[in-house]
Amino acid sequence: MSAKTTPTQRALDTFVEETGGWIASQLEACTRCGICAAACHFYQATGNPDFAPVWKVELLRRAYEQRFTVAGRILTALGIRKRITDEDLGAWSKLVYEACTVCNKCAMVCPMGIQLGPLIHDVRAGLSAAGMVPEDLMAAVTKQVEEGSPLGVTDDVFEERIDWVSDEWDVDIPLDREGAEMLVVFSSIEIMKFPENIADVAMILNAAGASWTLSTKGREVVNFGFYEGDAEHTALFVNRVLDAARELGVERVMVTECGHAYDALRWTAPNLVAMPPGVEITHVVAVLDELVRDGRIRLRAGAADGGGGVTFHDACKIQRRGGHIEEPRNLLKILAPESFREMTPNREAAICCGGGGGVIAIKEADPNRYAAFGLKLDQIRQAEAGTVVMACSNCRLQFLDGVQHFGSDVKIRGLSGMVAESLETADEGRPS
Amino acid sequence: MSWHEFLRFVRGPLFEVALLVFVAGLAYRIFRVVALGWRHERAPAMGSRAGGVVTSYAKGIGIWPFVPWVRDTFRGNAVTFLAGGLFHLGLFVVILLGTAHMLVWKSLLGFGWPTLPLPIVDFLAAGVIVAMAALLINRFTQPVVRKITGPAEIANWVFVFLPMLTGYLMTHHLFFRYEVLYSLHMLTVDALLIWIPFSLIPHFAFYFFSRTIHGSQFGRRAVTP
Repeated sequence: MSAKTTPTQRALDTFVEETGGWIASQLEACTRCGICAAACHFYQATGNPDFAPVWKVELLRRAYEQRFTVAGRILTALGIRKRITDEDLGAWSKLVYEACTVCNKCAMVCPMGIQLGPLIHDVRAGLSAAGMVPEDLMAAVTKQVEEGSPLGVTDDVFEERIDWVSDEWDVDIPLDREGAEMLVVFSSIEIMKFPENIADVAMILNAAGASWTLSTKGREVVNFGFYEGDAEHTALFVNRVLDAARELGVERVMVTECGHAYDALRWTAPNLVAMPPGVEITHVVAVLDELVRDGRIRLRAGAADGGGGVTFHDACKIQRRGGHIEEPRNLLKILAPESFREMTPNREAAICCGGGGGVIAIKEADPNRYAAFGLKLDQIRQAEAGTVVMACSNCRLQFLDGVQHFGSDVKIRGLSGMVAESLETADEGRPS
Repeated sequence: MSWHEFLRFVRGPLFEVALLVFVAGLAYRIFRVVALGWRHERAPAMGSRAGGVVTSYAKGIGIWPFVPWVRDTFRGNAVTFLAGGLFHLGLFVVILLGTAHMLVWKSLLGFGWPTLPLPIVDFLAAGVIVAMAALLINRFTQPVVRKITGPAEIANWVFVFLPMLTGYLMTHHLFFRYEVLYSLHMLTVDALLIWIPFSLIPHFAFYFFSRTIHGSQFGRRAVTP
């Protein structure tokens, strides 16, 4: 890519490159009815019409019309339609990175069924080619390129952390074990902020007698390139994990409590890079459910009952975009048969926490993020739940920050943690 | 040129040219999109794509238009749902099940079909006109819709509204001589047919692309569309 071209030109080139029939046919299907706005948590929370998903995609649509449609080319040549400018890119950068979590709820209400989430991801792709990614997010991407982790989980830090978790919780954590059946990849949020997740997952897998390992090479699964919308960075980061899977000869890669990383590795990576043949990509909620169903671990029924209502937060990338909708509910119906209740809406129709898609990493996005979380908090209150369980660490960060911001005393739990403390064999070895 | 001759022109040669532009233009629009190439999803599916597509259409055609309050979107978009729904229903009935229009189809296709009694078609035609007025007002009052409204959307409205209006006046023999109204109706229909390939009206064709994509995306992820 030439350094001489303007940011706008680089964005347009990317839009053109990315535009196949898949995108074009959906842009052509849009009737500009605006119903998608009603699904967007950022629009609902703020009432700002700029946050309507249809408007977020407007940049891509303009680029498409100016390049590919007869009417658009004539109108642009005549000067009736304005050309896209660098200022436009700046404005849309605020919309698609700071007021969108790419949660794709809008696709569910669109009368035409347009996949607005993936289209907004393409707007991000163009903006990232133009160098218009918000500074905070770009700093994290650069850190992940250079150090291997947006949160500074270098080789040394990783090994130190794993050692410490292993000691602190007194649990075996196999590292770089060749021939293991399953490679487990944590997100940097878990490694740095929720280390108990590592202990919990290790305890569960050990109790099940699973053959598993961590890898120093593919040591974390978080993918800031996917947040950014840059295909090269996304590929670079998924390849670190996939190369580790190849070297260790595993049959499965299990992504732990991280949503965006799961979407990147499970659904996007196969379209970007060569996948190691025969390796299945799965998520920890699916594995937990499978271990319980196969009788490899036993949970104390009702272990989470008696402490008030328990509800489950559906993460956009694990449930709506990932398909693991029933597995966490199967588990919670064992753990909290009396006190489990649903928020409204739930499952694939649930609203996003407001922190996904990289939004939580961008300081300027804080007002949007808190506004959106307010909606979620209302739903928790309406469900009369004192505890919210989720299977995404990014959501969990947002929930912890959000309840503090609003002064709520709702308890925030990770699903793996709840399962671990309810293991029938887990009476020993867990100090907390 | 007398009105009589003008009518002969707008329902004869001009109508034929307009039809040609409509069919060729629409074919080009679709061809252009398909020719951009199709991306292949290489990730192994978790659920049934076909099942997702079937559900997507069942919901899109069978549920959406009739149960507008699904998924909490009705409250902020009551006009869009109600007027939009009435507009589409009325339009299909008038164009396909109005006797005069069926006869045009018969002359083009060589076969006809049973139609609805005029009072019903007429009532729906009036409904379309009222709905369009409501949708136009909504375009300027609802903040999100106002934001995405430009000259192209207004032009669309005008090109669709004029044939509706002239057709209605003609059926009721209002204000002008019959052949004047008939001429104006045909003229505006010709204009609409020529306009369609340059507008966003072909969404009726691309609907089948986007709903299929929707169903397949959700289906392969084992999520109900």
